[in-house]
Amino acid sequence: MMLNPEWGVLPKKARHVPTDDIAMSCRVRLARNLVGERFPDWATEHDRERVFAGVREALRVEAPDLRVEPVAGFEEQDRDVLCESHLISKDLLDRAAGGGVAYAVDGSVCVMINEEDHLRIQGFAGGLDMQTAWSAADALDTRLERHLNYAWTPRLGYLTACPSNVGTGLRASAMLHLLGLRLLGEVEPVVRGLERMRLLVRGIGGEGSEAAGQIYQISNMDTLGADEATVVRRVARICAEVVRQEYNARVRLIQESPLVLVDCLARSLSVLQNARLLATSEALEFLSAMRLGASLGLCTRLKVQDVDKLILLMQPGHLQKGMGTAMTSDERDEMRAEFLSRKVANVKLKC
Amino acid sequence: MKCELCHKAEAETAIRKHVAGESQELYVCQACAKKEAQRQEPAASEPSAQPGGTDGVPVLPLMGMILDAAFEIVGRAKSLAEPACPVCGILRNEYRKRSRLGCPACYEAFSKELDAAILDLHRASQHVGKTPEKAKAFWQRKQLADKLDAAVEAQRYEEAIALRDQLRKLDGPEAEKEGGPA
Repeated sequence: MMLNPEWGVLPKKARHVPTDDIAMSCRVRLARNLVGERFPDWATEHDRERVFAGVREALRVEAPDLRVEPVAGFEEQDRDVLCESHLISKDLLDRAAGGGVAYAVDGSVCVMINEEDHLRIQGFAGGLDMQTAWSAADALDTRLERHLNYAWTPRLGYLTACPSNVGTGLRASAMLHLLGLRLLGEVEPVVRGLERMRLLVRGIGGEGSEAAGQIYQISNMDTLGADEATVVRRVARICAEVVRQEYNARVRLIQESPLVLVDCLARSLSVLQNARLLATSEALEFLSAMRLGASLGLCTRLKVQDVDKLILLMQPGHLQKGMGTAMTSDERDEMRAEFLSRKVANVKLKC
Repeated sequence: MKCELCHKAEAETAIRKHVAGESQELYVCQACAKKEAQRQEPAASEPSAQPGGTDGVPVLPLMGMILDAAFEIVGRAKSLAEPACPVCGILRNEYRKRSRLGCPACYEAFSKELDAAILDLHRASQHVGKTPEKAKAFWQRKQLADKLDAAVEAQRYEEAIALRDQLRKLDGPEAEKEGGPA
């Protein structure tokens, strides 16, 4: 493969990597519980159903635009689709009785009912626009509070099922794509630095998950002792710094280690175009590389948004939903390989 | 919480069981606790091994002795002496095992150890930030009512009257009318 003769001079696009290419999305979550009710983990089915009914009524009055669904009413594929879209968690799916979700059709806010806490109000936004995510969650929370008696004390703030969330009950997080730092072997020091600043670093699936595809979820560790706006600003500021480091890593990668980058892109594209079986995790690794290539303008006919869409559509729930049928794991791997090879068939590297 | 052996009855006792050289803590119902005890010490459950067992001596103390001998009992007898949440009834052992509290009132019931854990977790002990309006009113009222109680107890009647009037104002015009003369 010939290297671009202009290597050493950044390709035009690479000089202006949009930060949204690195910060994929962000979210602000508020944990809330009701006075006099057992937390969902200890509640009976009857208790959970009662809480669900109360929250649904509050939503009907204060947020009639949200669609409210009990989890038990979902088809299995729909559950996976919602989970893969990060609207609801796997934990919620395990709590069928009384578990539910309320969501805006535009995907800006969502409430999980009877997950670990009675309510988990979430605001979503693109890139690092945490202020928008926080405003959406805060506004819905304030409206619901008119109808619901939240468990709160002046000393500990909002009382939650796990003491790790007590206080504001707020978790502000951003999804960052850090493949550049990974290729330069610099992810670990960044992660250690974030942990020293009391930020949590997790994988794409949240708590306990690996950073598959080098997509990291970064969020605040503490929920007591600082007000919501301060926490949101702090997480956004630190994430912006990580984005800057990733950007610098990408620039250095192009200038100092172009072969490493090109090799990564070429191998990934080759597998995606030719593989006959692809598991979700390995497909994510290759798509992650294509995402970097698209972001740097090194792939023809491929945008970052296209890759983000593929990352979602190739996951088990979306894949089965798209095909309109349930499939075994092996069948899905075959279907995923066929689907992805079709989607990237015309993509070529510019280097 | 269901028994971790039969998964049917409610767990009432925690036992420490030694399996393959490893000590395991299990939450079990009374029936399974007895079964486990008999399995560990079959001889002790034989009538001949129960001096006085058939002579009108209550069996329960004997069973207690068997359990004590076979396991390190960390269950009901001890747990009952441990703090339990007055609202949801969760015992300290139970919430520690799951790392999840039973209800909002648990924060008060287990405050001694929770306060230390919360300080460790967050490096802070005082909430700063959003206050729900309803809760604000409730706590304001509670604070005044506590002050009123203290003033009455200390026979500071002028202060008590002022506090009572503040409380009535908080409760709205209806409460003020109902109050009548001091």
